[in-house]
Amino acid sequence: MYPGKLSQIISLFEALPDAEKRESLISYAAAASKQGPRDGEAFDLEDIRKDEECTDTVGVFLRVSPERHCAFRVTLGPQVQTLTKAMTAILCKGLDGLTPEEIIDVPADFVPKIVGAELVRQRSQTVYYILTRMKGIARVWLNRERSAAAQGA
Amino acid sequence: MSDKNYAHPEALVSTEWVADHLADSHLRIVESNEDILLYDTGHIQGAVHIDWRSDLQDQTIRDYITPQQFAALCERNGISNDTTVVFYGDKSNWWACYALWVFRLFGHTKVKIMDGGRDKWVAEGRHLTRAVPHFAHGHYTAPEIRCDAEIRAFYDQALAQSRAGMSLIDVRSPAEFRGEVTHMPEYPQEGVLRGGHIPGAASVPWKMAVKDDSTFKSVNELRQIYEDEAGLQPGQDVIAYCRIGERSSHTWFVLTYLLGYKNVRNYDGSWTEWGNKVGAPIERN
Repeated sequence: MYPGKLSQIISLFEALPDAEKRESLISYAAAASKQGPRDGEAFDLEDIRKDEECTDTVGVFLRVSPERHCAFRVTLGPQVQTLTKAMTAILCKGLDGLTPEEIIDVPADFVPKIVGAELVRQRSQTVYYILTRMKGIARVWLNRERSAAAQGA
Repeated sequence: MSDKNYAHPEALVSTEWVADHLADSHLRIVESNEDILLYDTGHIQGAVHIDWRSDLQDQTIRDYITPQQFAALCERNGISNDTTVVFYGDKSNWWACYALWVFRLFGHTKVKIMDGGRDKWVAEGRHLTRAVPHFAHGHYTAPEIRCDAEIRAFYDQALAQSRAGMSLIDVRSPAEFRGEVTHMPEYPQEGVLRGGHIPGAASVPWKMAVKDDSTFKSVNELRQIYEDEAGLQPGQDVIAYCRIGERSSHTWFVLTYLLGYKNVRNYDGSWTEWGNKVGAPIERN
Protein backbone atom coordinates (compact mmCIF):
# COMPACT_ATOMS: atom_id res chain seq x y z
CA MET A 1 0.00 0.00 0.00
CA TYR A 2 2.84 2.41 0.84
CA PRO A 3 5.99 2.61 -1.24
CA GLY A 4 9.30 1.00 -0.21
CA LYS A 5 11.18 2.87 2.47
CA LEU A 6 8.12 4.69 3.74
CA SER A 7 6.39 1.35 4.28
CA GLN A 8 9.33 0.18 6.39
CA ILE A 9 9.25 3.33 8.51
CA ILE A 10 5.49 2.98 9.03
CA SER A 11 5.85 -0.67 10.06
CA LEU A 12 8.58 0.26 12.51
CA PHE A 13 6.49 3.00 14.12
CA GLU A 14 3.40 0.82 14.31
CA ALA A 15 5.36 -1.75 16.28
CA LEU A 16 6.68 0.76 18.80
CA PRO A 17 5.12 1.44 22.18
CA ASP A 18 4.06 5.08 22.66
CA ALA A 19 7.12 6.13 24.63
CA GLU A 20 9.52 4.78 22.02
CA LYS A 21 7.38 6.25 19.26
CA ARG A 22 7.81 9.68 20.85
CA GLU A 23 11.52 9.09 21.20
CA SER A 24 11.82 8.12 17.54
CA LEU A 25 9.89 11.20 16.51
CA ILE A 26 12.27 13.36 18.53
CA SER A 27 15.22 11.69 16.78
CA TYR A 28 13.71 12.29 13.38
CA ALA A 29 12.92 15.90 14.35
CA ALA A 30 16.55 16.40 15.34
CA ALA A 31 17.55 15.07 11.92
CA ALA A 32 15.35 17.59 10.12
CA SER A 33 18.09 20.21 10.14
CA LYS A 34 20.25 17.84 8.08
CA GLN A 35 17.69 17.53 5.29
CA GLY A 36 18.63 20.81 3.61
CA PRO A 37 20.66 21.15 0.41
CA ARG A 38 24.33 20.29 0.69
CA ASP A 39 27.20 22.22 -0.85
CA GLY A 40 27.41 21.73 -4.59
CA GLU A 41 24.03 20.05 -4.99
CA ALA A 42 21.96 21.06 -7.99
CA PHE A 43 18.21 20.67 -8.26
CA ASP A 44 15.63 20.47 -10.99
CA LEU A 45 13.16 22.51 -8.96
CA GLU A 46 13.29 24.70 -5.87
CA ASP A 47 10.24 26.02 -4.07
CA ILE A 48 10.85 28.21 -1.03
CA ARG A 49 7.87 29.98 0.43
CA LYS A 50 5.88 30.91 3.51
CA ASP A 51 2.30 29.69 3.25
CA GLU A 52 -0.64 30.81 5.32
CA GLU A 53 -1.20 27.36 6.77
CA CYS A 54 2.32 26.85 8.10
CA THR A 55 4.02 28.78 10.89
CA ASP A 56 7.26 29.41 9.03
CA THR A 57 9.02 29.30 5.69
CA VAL A 58 9.54 25.89 4.11
CA GLY A 59 11.89 25.23 1.19
CA VAL A 60 11.45 22.10 -0.91
CA PHE A 61 14.18 21.09 -3.37
CA LEU A 62 13.73 18.29 -5.89
CA ARG A 63 16.24 16.47 -8.02
CA VAL A 64 15.07 13.76 -10.44
CA SER A 65 17.64 11.34 -11.83
CA PRO A 66 17.68 10.20 -15.47
CA GLU A 67 15.99 7.02 -14.17
CA ARG A 68 13.27 9.30 -12.81
CA HIS A 69 14.13 8.67 -9.16
CA CYS A 70 13.34 11.61 -6.87
CA ALA A 71 15.57 13.00 -4.14
CA PHE A 72 14.25 15.68 -1.81
CA ARG A 73 15.92 18.27 0.34
CA VAL A 74 13.87 20.42 2.70
CA THR A 75 14.67 23.51 4.74
CA LEU A 76 12.48 24.61 7.66
CA GLY A 77 12.16 27.93 9.44
CA PRO A 78 12.77 27.92 13.20
CA GLN A 79 9.10 28.25 14.15
CA VAL A 80 8.09 24.95 12.58
CA GLN A 81 6.72 22.53 15.16
CA THR A 82 8.54 19.40 16.27
CA LEU A 83 6.11 16.99 14.65
CA THR A 84 6.46 18.75 11.33
CA LYS A 85 10.23 18.58 11.66
CA ALA A 86 9.99 14.84 12.34
CA MET A 87 7.71 14.30 9.37
CA THR A 88 10.16 16.18 7.16
CA ALA A 89 13.01 13.82 7.99
CA ILE A 90 10.71 10.81 7.65
CA LEU A 91 9.47 11.89 4.25
CA CYS A 92 12.91 12.78 2.90
CA LYS A 93 14.01 9.26 3.78
CA GLY A 94 10.77 7.44 3.04
CA LEU A 95 10.12 8.94 -0.39
CA ASP A 96 13.71 8.85 -1.56
CA GLY A 97 14.06 7.10 -4.90
CA LEU A 98 10.38 7.09 -5.83
CA THR A 99 9.20 8.34 -9.20
CA PRO A 100 7.21 11.60 -9.35
CA GLU A 101 4.08 9.59 -10.12
CA GLU A 102 4.61 7.44 -7.05
CA ILE A 103 5.13 10.54 -4.90
CA ILE A 104 1.82 11.99 -6.06
CA ASP A 105 0.05 8.72 -5.30
CA VAL A 106 1.28 8.38 -1.71
CA PRO A 107 -1.85 8.40 0.47
CA ALA A 108 -1.71 10.76 3.44
CA ASP A 109 -3.39 8.30 5.79
CA PHE A 110 -0.05 6.96 6.99
CA VAL A 111 0.49 10.02 9.20
CA PRO A 112 -1.56 8.79 12.19
CA LYS A 113 0.15 5.41 11.90
CA ILE A 114 3.49 7.10 12.50
CA VAL A 115 2.49 9.90 14.82
CA GLY A 116 -0.08 7.97 16.82
CA ALA A 117 -3.62 9.06 17.58
CA GLU A 118 -2.69 10.97 20.73
CA LEU A 119 -0.42 13.36 18.89
CA VAL A 120 -2.68 14.05 15.92
CA ARG A 121 -4.56 17.21 16.79
CA GLN A 122 -6.30 19.98 15.03
CA ARG A 123 -3.30 22.22 15.53
CA SER A 124 -0.77 19.62 14.45
CA GLN A 125 -2.31 19.27 11.03
CA THR A 126 0.77 20.86 9.48
CA VAL A 127 2.34 17.41 9.66
CA TYR A 128 0.49 16.89 6.39
CA TYR A 129 1.83 20.11 4.94
CA ILE A 130 5.31 18.83 4.04
CA LEU A 131 3.84 15.90 2.10
CA THR A 132 1.55 18.31 0.26
CA ARG A 133 4.51 20.48 -0.69
CA MET A 134 6.49 17.44 -1.90
CA LYS A 135 3.58 16.26 -3.99
CA GLY A 136 3.19 19.76 -5.36
CA ILE A 137 6.75 20.05 -6.56
CA ALA A 138 6.60 16.53 -8.03
CA ARG A 139 3.49 17.56 -9.92
CA VAL A 140 5.23 20.65 -11.30
CA TRP A 141 8.16 18.49 -12.43
CA LEU A 142 5.77 16.10 -14.19
CA ASN A 143 3.95 18.93 -15.92
CA ARG A 144 7.24 20.30 -17.18
CA GLU A 145 8.29 16.86 -18.39
CA ARG A 146 5.02 16.46 -20.26
CA SER A 147 5.30 19.94 -21.68
CA ALA A 148 8.85 19.27 -22.87
CA ALA A 149 7.75 15.96 -24.40
CA ALA A 150 4.87 17.67 -26.20
CA GLN A 151 7.18 20.32 -27.60
CA GLY A 152 9.64 17.67 -28.75
CA ALA A 153 6.97 15.58 -30.46
CA MET B 1 9.10 42.38 38.34
CA SER B 2 8.25 45.30 40.65
CA ASP B 3 9.87 47.81 38.28
CA LYS B 4 6.92 47.45 35.94
CA ASN B 5 4.39 48.38 38.67
CA TYR B 6 2.16 45.40 38.14
CA ALA B 7 -0.82 44.96 40.46
CA HIS B 8 0.40 41.49 41.46
CA PRO B 9 4.12 41.47 40.72
CA GLU B 10 4.49 38.21 42.63
CA ALA B 11 2.62 36.42 39.82
CA LEU B 12 5.35 37.10 37.30
CA VAL B 13 8.92 35.88 37.60
CA SER B 14 11.89 36.34 35.34
CA THR B 15 13.95 33.64 33.67
CA GLU B 16 16.77 34.62 36.01
CA TRP B 17 14.52 34.11 39.04
CA VAL B 18 13.56 30.65 37.80
CA ALA B 19 17.20 29.78 37.18
CA ASP B 20 17.95 30.78 40.77
CA HIS B 21 15.10 28.68 42.19
CA LEU B 22 15.56 25.38 40.38
CA ALA B 23 16.30 23.61 43.63
CA ASP B 24 13.43 25.13 45.59
CA SER B 25 11.44 22.18 46.95
CA HIS B 26 8.34 24.33 47.51
CA LEU B 27 8.22 25.14 43.84
CA ARG B 28 7.17 23.11 40.86
CA ILE B 29 8.01 24.31 37.35
CA VAL B 30 5.45 23.32 34.72
CA GLU B 31 5.92 23.53 30.96
CA SER B 32 2.78 23.78 28.83
CA ASN B 33 3.07 24.07 25.08
CA GLU B 34 1.21 24.06 21.85
CA ASP B 35 4.02 22.06 20.22
CA ILE B 36 3.15 18.69 21.62
CA LEU B 37 6.68 17.27 21.49
CA LEU B 38 8.61 20.36 22.47
CA TYR B 39 9.00 19.37 26.12
CA ASP B 40 10.49 16.05 25.00
CA THR B 41 13.18 17.83 23.00
CA GLY B 42 14.44 19.61 26.12
CA HIS B 43 13.05 21.59 29.05
CA ILE B 44 14.10 23.49 32.14
CA GLN B 45 15.75 21.23 34.67
CA GLY B 46 13.12 19.87 37.05
CA ALA B 47 10.18 21.03 34.93
CA VAL B 48 7.24 18.69 34.53
CA HIS B 49 5.01 18.66 31.47
CA ILE B 50 1.30 19.36 31.72
CA ASP B 51 -0.55 19.15 28.45
CA TRP B 52 -3.58 21.36 27.93
CA ARG B 53 -5.46 18.68 26.06
CA SER B 54 -4.55 15.31 27.52
CA ASP B 55 -3.98 16.43 31.13
CA LEU B 56 -6.34 19.34 31.75
CA GLN B 57 -9.36 18.51 29.59
CA ASP B 58 -11.93 15.78 29.82
CA GLN B 59 -11.11 13.30 27.08
CA THR B 60 -14.68 12.90 25.89
CA ILE B 61 -16.72 16.04 26.35
CA ARG B 62 -15.51 19.60 25.84
CA ASP B 63 -14.81 20.51 29.44
CA TYR B 64 -12.14 20.27 32.07
CA ILE B 65 -11.18 17.42 34.33
CA THR B 66 -12.95 16.90 37.63
CA PRO B 67 -11.56 18.12 40.97
CA GLN B 68 -10.55 14.55 41.79
CA GLN B 69 -8.72 14.18 38.49
CA PHE B 70 -7.03 17.53 39.07
CA ALA B 71 -5.85 16.41 42.50
CA ALA B 72 -4.48 13.20 40.99
CA LEU B 73 -2.71 15.18 38.24
CA CYS B 74 -1.09 17.40 40.82
CA GLU B 75 -0.06 14.53 43.05
CA ARG B 76 1.64 12.59 40.28
CA ASN B 77 3.57 15.74 39.37
CA GLY B 78 4.68 16.27 42.96
CA ILE B 79 2.35 19.19 43.52
CA SER B 80 0.61 19.65 46.85
CA ASN B 81 -1.97 22.25 47.84
CA ASP B 82 0.73 24.56 49.15
CA THR B 83 3.16 24.14 46.24
CA THR B 84 3.91 27.25 44.22
CA VAL B 85 3.60 26.42 40.55
CA VAL B 86 5.56 28.36 37.95
CA PHE B 87 4.27 27.97 34.41
CA TYR B 88 6.12 28.61 31.17
CA GLY B 89 5.77 27.48 27.58
CA ASP B 90 5.94 28.23 23.89
CA LYS B 91 3.90 30.77 21.93
CA SER B 92 4.58 33.61 24.34
CA ASN B 93 3.10 31.59 27.20
CA TRP B 94 -0.36 31.07 25.70
CA TRP B 95 -0.65 27.57 27.10
CA ALA B 96 1.22 28.42 30.27
CA CYS B 97 -1.43 31.07 30.99
CA TYR B 98 -4.12 28.59 30.01
CA ALA B 99 -2.74 26.00 32.43
CA LEU B 100 -2.45 28.63 35.15
CA TRP B 101 -6.06 29.64 34.53
CA VAL B 102 -7.16 25.99 34.81
CA PHE B 103 -5.22 25.67 38.06
CA ARG B 104 -7.13 28.71 39.32
CA LEU B 105 -10.39 27.01 38.31
CA PHE B 106 -9.49 24.45 40.94
CA GLY B 107 -8.63 27.06 43.52
CA HIS B 108 -4.86 26.74 43.28
CA THR B 109 -3.76 30.32 43.87
CA LYS B 110 0.00 29.90 44.35
CA VAL B 111 0.77 30.34 40.68
CA LYS B 112 3.28 32.31 38.64
CA ILE B 113 4.23 32.83 35.02
CA MET B 114 7.83 32.94 33.81
CA ASP B 115 7.95 36.17 31.83
CA GLY B 116 8.98 35.65 28.22
CA GLY B 117 8.29 31.92 28.37
CA ARG B 118 10.35 29.22 26.79
CA ASP B 119 11.55 31.36 23.91
CA LYS B 120 13.23 33.82 26.25
CA TRP B 121 14.86 31.04 28.27
CA VAL B 122 16.25 29.54 25.05
CA ALA B 123 17.24 32.92 23.61
CA GLU B 124 19.30 33.57 26.72
CA GLY B 125 21.17 30.34 26.15
CA ARG B 126 19.99 28.83 29.39
CA HIS B 127 20.30 25.12 30.00
CA LEU B 128 17.70 22.63 28.79
CA THR B 129 17.64 18.98 29.70
CA ARG B 130 15.87 15.94 28.33
CA ALA B 131 15.87 14.26 31.73
CA VAL B 132 12.31 13.85 32.93
CA PRO B 133 12.15 14.53 36.67
CA HIS B 134 10.42 12.19 39.08
CA PHE B 135 9.10 13.67 42.28
CA ALA B 136 7.58 12.05 45.30
CA HIS B 137 3.81 12.17 45.03
CA GLY B 138 2.27 15.32 46.39
CA HIS B 139 -0.60 15.42 48.84
CA TYR B 140 -3.47 17.22 47.21
CA THR B 141 -6.88 17.62 48.74
CA ALA B 142 -9.29 17.99 45.89
CA PRO B 143 -11.46 21.10 45.97
CA GLU B 144 -15.15 20.41 46.39
CA ILE B 145 -16.03 22.15 43.17
CA ARG B 146 -14.36 23.76 40.20
CA CYS B 147 -14.56 27.54 40.52
CA ASP B 148 -16.19 28.04 37.12
CA ALA B 149 -18.38 30.87 38.35
CA GLU B 150 -15.48 33.13 39.27
CA ILE B 151 -13.17 33.15 36.27
CA ARG B 152 -14.93 31.20 33.53
CA ALA B 153 -17.72 32.41 31.27
CA PHE B 154 -20.13 30.30 29.28
CA TYR B 155 -22.10 31.08 26.14
CA ASP B 156 -25.19 32.37 27.94
CA GLN B 157 -23.10 34.66 30.10
CA ALA B 158 -21.19 36.02 27.13
CA LEU B 159 -24.50 36.59 25.36
CA ALA B 160 -25.90 38.42 28.39
CA GLN B 161 -22.73 40.49 28.57
CA SER B 162 -23.13 41.42 24.92
CA ARG B 163 -26.82 42.31 25.25
CA ALA B 164 -26.12 44.42 28.33
CA GLY B 165 -23.41 46.36 26.53
CA MET B 166 -20.82 45.21 29.05
CA SER B 167 -17.15 44.69 28.33
CA LEU B 168 -16.15 41.93 25.97
CA ILE B 169 -12.61 41.66 24.68
CA ASP B 170 -11.92 39.73 21.49
CA VAL B 171 -8.22 38.88 21.54
CA ARG B 172 -8.01 37.21 18.13
CA SER B 173 -6.28 38.70 15.12
CA PRO B 174 -7.98 41.69 13.46
CA ALA B 175 -8.88 39.60 10.39
CA GLU B 176 -10.62 37.02 12.57
CA PHE B 177 -12.44 39.79 14.43
CA ARG B 178 -13.68 41.31 11.18
CA GLY B 179 -14.85 37.90 9.99
CA GLU B 180 -12.54 37.89 6.99
CA VAL B 181 -11.03 34.57 8.07
CA THR B 182 -12.27 31.80 10.33
CA HIS B 183 -8.87 30.65 11.51
CA MET B 184 -5.94 32.48 12.95
CA PRO B 185 -3.04 33.34 10.66
CA GLU B 186 -0.67 30.40 10.09
CA TYR B 187 -3.05 27.88 11.60
CA PRO B 188 -5.39 25.30 10.13
CA GLN B 189 -9.12 25.73 10.24
CA GLU B 190 -10.45 24.53 13.58
CA GLY B 191 -13.98 24.06 12.43
CA VAL B 192 -15.99 27.26 12.59
CA LEU B 193 -18.91 27.85 10.28
CA ARG B 194 -19.32 31.61 10.68
CA GLY B 195 -16.83 34.45 10.98
CA GLY B 196 -17.09 37.73 12.85
CA HIS B 197 -17.26 38.66 16.51
CA ILE B 198 -19.63 38.88 19.45
CA PRO B 199 -21.69 42.08 19.11
CA GLY B 200 -20.16 44.87 21.13
CA ALA B 201 -16.79 43.19 21.63
CA ALA B 202 -13.66 45.32 21.42
CA SER B 203 -10.75 44.00 19.40
CA VAL B 204 -7.56 43.85 21.43
CA PRO B 205 -5.32 41.13 19.95
CA TRP B 206 -3.46 39.26 22.71
CA LYS B 207 -0.14 40.22 21.15
CA MET B 208 -0.65 43.85 22.08
CA ALA B 209 0.29 42.90 25.64
CA VAL B 210 3.77 41.62 24.90
CA LYS B 211 7.04 42.92 23.57
CA ASP B 212 9.08 41.31 20.82
CA ASP B 213 10.82 39.05 23.33
CA SER B 214 7.41 37.80 24.57
CA THR B 215 7.75 39.55 27.94
CA PHE B 216 4.80 41.57 29.13
CA LYS B 217 4.67 45.31 28.61
CA SER B 218 4.70 47.71 31.55
CA VAL B 219 1.58 48.70 33.44
CA ASN B 220 1.49 52.10 31.78
CA GLU B 221 1.67 50.57 28.34
CA LEU B 222 -0.99 48.00 29.22
CA ARG B 223 -3.30 50.67 30.65
CA GLN B 224 -2.99 52.64 27.46
CA ILE B 225 -3.95 49.59 25.41
CA TYR B 226 -6.79 48.23 27.51
CA GLU B 227 -8.14 51.39 29.12
CA ASP B 228 -7.31 54.39 26.96
CA GLU B 229 -7.78 52.61 23.65
CA ALA B 230 -10.20 49.74 24.37
CA GLY B 231 -12.20 51.54 27.02
CA LEU B 232 -11.96 49.06 29.89
CA GLN B 233 -12.15 50.36 33.44
CA PRO B 234 -10.88 48.69 36.61
CA GLY B 235 -13.81 47.22 38.51
CA GLN B 236 -15.77 46.35 35.38
CA ASP B 237 -16.92 42.83 34.62
CA VAL B 238 -14.89 41.76 31.62
CA ILE B 239 -15.14 38.65 29.47
CA ALA B 240 -12.27 37.75 27.16
CA TYR B 241 -12.45 35.24 24.33
CA CYS B 242 -10.51 33.94 21.33
CA ARG B 243 -11.04 30.66 19.44
CA ILE B 244 -10.60 27.97 22.08
CA GLY B 245 -9.59 29.93 25.14
CA GLU B 246 -5.81 29.88 25.18
CA ARG B 247 -5.04 33.35 23.81
CA SER B 248 -7.80 34.76 25.99
CA SER B 249 -6.18 33.05 29.00
CA HIS B 250 -3.15 35.17 28.20
CA THR B 251 -5.26 38.34 28.23
CA TRP B 252 -7.11 37.12 31.34
CA PHE B 253 -3.72 36.87 33.07
CA VAL B 254 -2.79 40.39 31.95
CA LEU B 255 -6.03 41.95 33.16
CA THR B 256 -6.19 39.95 36.40
CA TYR B 257 -2.60 39.87 37.59
CA LEU B 258 -0.83 42.72 35.84
CA LEU B 259 -3.59 45.32 35.84
CA GLY B 260 -5.39 44.02 38.92
CA TYR B 261 -8.91 43.69 37.52
CA LYS B 262 -11.01 41.64 39.90
CA ASN B 263 -13.85 40.45 37.70
CA VAL B 264 -12.39 39.00 34.54
CA ARG B 265 -13.71 35.80 33.08
CA ASN B 266 -12.34 33.70 30.24
CA TYR B 267 -14.96 32.48 27.78
CA ASP B 268 -13.12 29.30 26.80
CA GLY B 269 -15.92 28.10 24.53
CA SER B 270 -14.86 31.13 22.51
CA TRP B 271 -15.36 31.46 18.79
CA THR B 272 -15.39 27.74 18.08
CA GLU B 273 -18.58 27.63 20.14
CA TRP B 274 -20.07 31.01 19.23
CA GLY B 275 -19.36 30.79 15.49
CA ASN B 276 -21.00 27.38 15.27
CA LYS B 277 -24.01 28.00 17.47
CA VAL B 278 -27.32 28.24 15.68
CA GLY B 279 -28.84 31.66 16.15
CA ALA B 280 -25.86 33.26 17.93
CA PRO B 281 -25.74 36.96 17.00
CA ILE B 282 -22.66 37.96 15.03
CA GLU B 283 -21.26 41.34 14.13
CA ARG B 284 -18.86 42.00 11.27
CA ASN B 285 -17.00 45.21 10.73
